[in-house]
Amino acid sequence: MVDVTQHELVPEHRLLGEDEIEEMLTEYDVKRTNLPKIKRTDPATPDDAELGDVVEIVRDSRTTDRAIIYRLVVS
Amino acid sequence: MSTQAPKQLGGIEFGLMDPETYRDMSATKVITADTYDDDGYPIDMGLMDPRLGVIDPGLQCRTCGQHSGSCNGHFGHIELAAPVIHVGFTTLIRRLLRSTCRECGRLCLTEDERGEFRDKLTRSEELGDDWSDVMKSAVRQARKAKSCPHCGAEKHDIKHEKPTTYYEVQQVLSGEYSNMIAGAMQGDAVGDEDPDDVDRDPTSPQDLAEQTGIELDRINEIVSGSFRPREDDRKAIERALGIDLTEEDMNKLMASDIRDWFEDIPDSDVETLGLESTVARPEWMVLTVLPVPPVTARPSITLDNGQRSEDDLTHKLVDIIRINQRFMENREAGAPQLIIEDLWELLQYHVTTFVDNEISGTPPARHRSGRPLKTLSQRLKGKEGRFRGSLSGKRVNFSARTVISPDPTLSLNEVGVPERVAREMTQTLNVTARNVADARQYVRNGPEGHPGANYVRRPDGRRLKVTEKNCEELAEKVEAGWEVNRHLIDGDIVIFNRQPSLHRMSIMAHEVVVMPYKTFRLNTTVCAPYNADFDGDEMNMHALQNEEARAEARVLMRVQEQMLSPRFGENIIGAIQDHVTGTYLLTNENPRFTETQALDLLRATSVDTLPEPDGTAEAAEPYWTGRSLFSELLPDDLSLEFGSSAGDTVVIEDGQLVSGTIDEDAVGAFGGEIVDTVTKMYSKTRARVLVNEIASVAVRAIMHFGFSIGIDDESIPPAADESVDEAIAEANSRVEDLIESYRADDLESLPGRTLDETLEMKIMQTLGKARDSAGEIAETHFEDDNPAVVMAESGARGSMLNLTQMAGCVGQQAVRGERINRGYEDRTLSHFAPNDLSAEAHGFVENSYRGGLTPKEFFFHAMGGREGLVDTAVRTSKSGYLQRRLINALSELEAQYDGTVRDTSDTIVQFEFGEDGTSPVKVSSANDGEIDVDKIADRVVEAEFDGDTEKERFLGEREPPTNLSEYAGPGLDKAEGMEVKSDD
Repeated sequence: MVDVTQHELVPEHRLLGEDEIEEMLTEYDVKRTNLPKIKRTDPATPDDAELGDVVEIVRDSRTTDRAIIYRLVVS
Repeated sequence: MSTQAPKQLGGIEFGLMDPETYRDMSATKVITADTYDDDGYPIDMGLMDPRLGVIDPGLQCRTCGQHSGSCNGHFGHIELAAPVIHVGFTTLIRRLLRSTCRECGRLCLTEDERGEFRDKLTRSEELGDDWSDVMKSAVRQARKAKSCPHCGAEKHDIKHEKPTTYYEVQQVLSGEYSNMIAGAMQGDAVGDEDPDDVDRDPTSPQDLAEQTGIELDRINEIVSGSFRPREDDRKAIERALGIDLTEEDMNKLMASDIRDWFEDIPDSDVETLGLESTVARPEWMVLTVLPVPPVTARPSITLDNGQRSEDDLTHKLVDIIRINQRFMENREAGAPQLIIEDLWELLQYHVTTFVDNEISGTPPARHRSGRPLKTLSQRLKGKEGRFRGSLSGKRVNFSARTVISPDPTLSLNEVGVPERVAREMTQTLNVTARNVADARQYVRNGPEGHPGANYVRRPDGRRLKVTEKNCEELAEKVEAGWEVNRHLIDGDIVIFNRQPSLHRMSIMAHEVVVMPYKTFRLNTTVCAPYNADFDGDEMNMHALQNEEARAEARVLMRVQEQMLSPRFGENIIGAIQDHVTGTYLLTNENPRFTETQALDLLRATSVDTLPEPDGTAEAAEPYWTGRSLFSELLPDDLSLEFGSSAGDTVVIEDGQLVSGTIDEDAVGAFGGEIVDTVTKMYSKTRARVLVNEIASVAVRAIMHFGFSIGIDDESIPPAADESVDEAIAEANSRVEDLIESYRADDLESLPGRTLDETLEMKIMQTLGKARDSAGEIAETHFEDDNPAVVMAESGARGSMLNLTQMAGCVGQQAVRGERINRGYEDRTLSHFAPNDLSAEAHGFVENSYRGGLTPKEFFFHAMGGREGLVDTAVRTSKSGYLQRRLINALSELEAQYDGTVRDTSDTIVQFEFGEDGTSPVKVSSANDGEIDVDKIADRVVEAEFDGDTEKERFLGEREPPTNLSEYAGPGLDKAEGMEVKSDD
């Protein structure tokens, strides 16, 4: 089986720790449920992700080099 | 004057209504189907009861005491003789019937399952998902239960016959049971069983009695058909004989049964399914009371002959009341069940069509004329319905529409408004001590004279119409504190729009210039953003009605503020067509002009002194070159270098055009380099002045040189014609060779293609080359000053391909990307032999447009041309719908102050607008994306040390005056006099 997370087009998905999540939520003044979503079954989601976790995705961007996006893991 | 204070809406809750609420809010019970009596007065407790509101002027509402116009109307009610189902809730009713117990009314789920679905419900609410998905899966789960987990009652399947009939499917003893048992005892196949599949040993009655524990006598009675076995016995016999003795029985559920059933459903179970029990008790989905809409919602109209014509809703209510009455009479008279059921169904039909008259499976209720009635749901649905037609799209006052025509003397910020329109549309002038003289003059001019007034409003709120007769008299009375509705005058700001409004530049604010005649006039440079031309296009104008709107329009919506398109971040306003040709002629060969000519070129600009002459001609007369005249329009410190589409390099140093041709790439709409740079580096105002002046100089220039095109401009010498013919003949013979080798089976097929495809490809290739070489031959014979060449070179209009098609050869016509292959069997036209593969038989047009096409060629050309037309028609309708859906989906997204993009429920869509948080119109459009920071810093420092005023402005201590009306003074003076360096 191909591990898509190793593909060069798949950006890094990192699980956030609880305090990191809190920090991000206060920074954006947003409820956890108002984050964009990602399915736990998504091949790019880290394997140890649980429902309600938040992943940080660091993407290459044409205009800003690096774009950081947070997604809530849902079923 | 309205005395109500504005209130803020906290929220809107949708739900069902309790029949008691219907009764409470009802102004009266309606019992008679009649509307008016013989004297034309509404009948008491009829459908037009004066307690339901009044529509006739002069009458008083018996509920609120107000007169028509101020009384909104009041609901009444009809007591239905029997409950009926509300069509809007048939699926919900079906779901509830399937998921709850018929005996105890409880949801057929175990405690664990309930908890699970409640959790899912809370989660889907948190995540903003669709709660109805949870309900659906809960219902699916509950339906699986064979019996109620609470009272143990058996569950039956529910069949729903659309729209409003429900059946309970029960398994009952078949009528054929005795024969089936007898047959099975003999070992035969029984009922629906396939005789080949059945291998059954005969059973004697004694054996059966033993196996089932039923007495022998009973067995005999059962077999003879004189005794119906009870359920236990039936199951025992079925088990013993391996047969199925049941058949399906459809037991119709009457609306009253359903209502009773739903009354038993506990609130907690209702909430497990995602319904709010306080506002949506399931039994309320079965109507026992019907609300009667107020008369104001269904006004009757009096026809010319004095007859009254009732609204469709009233007609429907009449039907309902009649049937309701008949139902009650019949029931009281003890009519047979069959008749009662028929009437019940009829009542159901009328109530159904009252709510929705477009239910599939139900014939629509019709008017006497045969027209289907427009009932409640039809009033709301669709394009002309209440939502899309009356709420999202409303008709407005102070708007005008007429044909547009060009006027190059206007600024691009302006719009020419016909006097007739200006007289109709007014602006409110608040009279003060300082403008009272003006106000009086407006009123004195009256409604007919041009800067006049149509209405005045006294301080006591009374509005007076200004007429020709009273205007003199009224003018004297006008004092400070009055309001005068004066006509539009030069310099007013209005909104201008051309449909389809596909991007934000389709609606822009313009300043009014009142003009004679009947068309709106606009500068030709704004054709690009509106996508307008003057072949009969019409545009709309809206006069703004309050100061806030006018300020907003002037600051945000004025044409010059919309110079840059957010689509590609470059200018969308710039020189088009003849402007481009004009600047090309002015700068391409760098022609010389005498003083008179030079002054004439610059006369419509703000340049009032000529620069130093570029040299002196033989007759000791000084001359100016086109490039230096063009340079006069540029900002003094502009430096640029870029390639032009004419093929040379444009170099601008310190505001002087040193070399290069100014063409579409330099000044055109859609990203002209100079216009784009000036807009971004200087100001919108400077860019507006530049575009206006470029356009007027270009028009002067093209008039100076003269520019026309005729048929002779596309002709080439006979010798060239011959070499074109030669080239085509050669291509034809090569095609013949290809066909020959194909016929001889010598042709080698290309990888992945069949032989036929290979041949077609090679022929297409050969003929394509033939057209190109014909074009090349033709091209060599055109002079550089050929008008068609000038237009193609400068990018003003047309291409070299168009030109070679006119002069050389039109080329292969194609339908669906292939040579023309349709028509008759094995041939395209009856003029060709079957299976002719030659170029001319499949739509190759050898001739040029100028030379003229043969009839056959003309026909093929029309085929190819039609495909183009059909394509554009299909494309516009498809993309229009796509855009509508896209816009609806994105319309609620908003960039927030913290840089995120969120929807209305605060869900984040982007963490940073566009990943980089920048506006596309504020980004450099240089190809390498590099920004010359030093240059910007220099400019900033220079501005800072220019003087104290400048410094203060730079530091933001004093705001530069922005967005002043250009009408207040000539353009450039304004821009420079005010020292606006950057107002964006």
